[in-house]
Amino acid sequence: MAADTGGGQVVGEYNTAEPLVMHIDLNSCFASIEQQSRPRLRGRPVVIVNRATEHTGIVTASYEAKARGVTALMKLREARKLVPDVVAIESDPAKYRYVYRKLLAIMEDYSAHVTMKSIDEGVIDFKQATEMIQRRGLVEIGHEIKQRLRDEVGVAMRCNVGIAPNRFLAKTAASLHKPDGLDVITHHNIREVLADLVLTDLTGIASRNQARLNAVGIDTPLDFLAADEEVLRRIVFKSVDGTKWHRRLRGWEVDDVASQVGRVGRQYVLERFDLSRDDILRRLHHLCESVGWRMRKQGLAARGVYVYARAESGYWHASRMASLPFFSNEAIYALARELFRGAPERVREIGMHCYELCDDVETQLGLFAEELAHERAVVGATDEINTRFGERTIVSADTIDTGMYISQKIPFGSTRYL
Amino acid sequence: MDDSVQLNEQVDVVVLFRPGRTMCEPVKFRRKNGREVTITEIGLRHPRTNGVRMVHVFDVTDGGADYRLEFDAEQLTWRLTREADKW
Repeated sequence: MAADTGGGQVVGEYNTAEPLVMHIDLNSCFASIEQQSRPRLRGRPVVIVNRATEHTGIVTASYEAKARGVTALMKLREARKLVPDVVAIESDPAKYRYVYRKLLAIMEDYSAHVTMKSIDEGVIDFKQATEMIQRRGLVEIGHEIKQRLRDEVGVAMRCNVGIAPNRFLAKTAASLHKPDGLDVITHHNIREVLADLVLTDLTGIASRNQARLNAVGIDTPLDFLAADEEVLRRIVFKSVDGTKWHRRLRGWEVDDVASQVGRVGRQYVLERFDLSRDDILRRLHHLCESVGWRMRKQGLAARGVYVYARAESGYWHASRMASLPFFSNEAIYALARELFRGAPERVREIGMHCYELCDDVETQLGLFAEELAHERAVVGATDEINTRFGERTIVSADTIDTGMYISQKIPFGSTRYL
Repeated sequence: MDDSVQLNEQVDVVVLFRPGRTMCEPVKFRRKNGREVTITEIGLRHPRTNGVRMVHVFDVTDGGADYRLEFDAEQLTWRLTREADKW
């Protein structure tokens, strides 16, 4: 294989380089932060929810709750059946952002190459770190980071650390001994580690990929490791993904790619299922304002709007592309409202996103130049005031009181807005 | 469900400024009704912004109840904004 060895040697196609990638994962992140900030919650089964209602979904469960069968995404009322004394806490995004920034600052003390994968996990690439840092050894540094998290955030904070030659194996290592583990995976112990796992323990292998692998007799991670590259590429994944998996499992880096913003969106489970059409539209308008604000903060404009609704009759969606990019809340809402005319009755959840994003550069469009300049000036002034005095200081009269229902949510899975 | 009571009560606070995890440590506070609460642990201190105004939020406990104190860094005022003594 003509592989970039990244300093390692090709021995039986494995990357034998020193493991210099560290994955850090905060354990039950939001629940741990709540247990840190409210000491009387420590040792209790705690779940974090986005809304104080019984039919809301659980965002995170503490280890005490997980040990009794509670999982994320479970409905709160189901969790109560399992654990009657479970304490449900409404999410507090400002607090979680603070801990995220503390963790990021700690990680950046060790390398300039830090990538946060989400609000509760990140990767430090030590390949270009100073010799002094490298000489100390990543295991020692991993223990130091754990201690610093306890010293600088609080004693209830724990994290898992995984060390390996590439990101995928580092993440796998970080999931081996929760909570508070520290594990290293190299070409020496990869087989022992994989022997104790099932296919769906591997990040990126969910039920669909598992079925594909099973179809060719690959039933365990060890089978997966032993599989021929051509079989993975031509039969299992039918794409270059097969080659990537073959390399990923052997410690070669294939996941060091910056992700681009593909879309910006929000969703909302209605607080009541008997709202009038006008009330639902006002909530949709609120989502459009929120998405427009986030999009503009990224310096982006969009060309498409996608709207969906979950109703008793099932999932409904509609989308439309505009000929020119748009950026204002009103332009987004005008398209979304038009699309929503086709939505079914008895809606329970609504959502929308903007797609086909592009840099929001001022265009010289003769025919519309004056209107666009006016719109841009109004939006710019509004955004400036909202930046100075708080996100929803100036909103449409239509959504002036929807904020009491639609509160800010935790940006799980993305760190773009932190 | 968490049974927190939301408050907006101005309180008198004794504070220690010293190096450490939070740098600024509320030690005890007196409520409007005269009751004094001695803080046994600061769970977390985190900043929150109201527009450009910085508010430092302290989640603290006296061992029997949890409290949230907010220090407005512009107006230099302390407020008790949450109390929770049961779940």
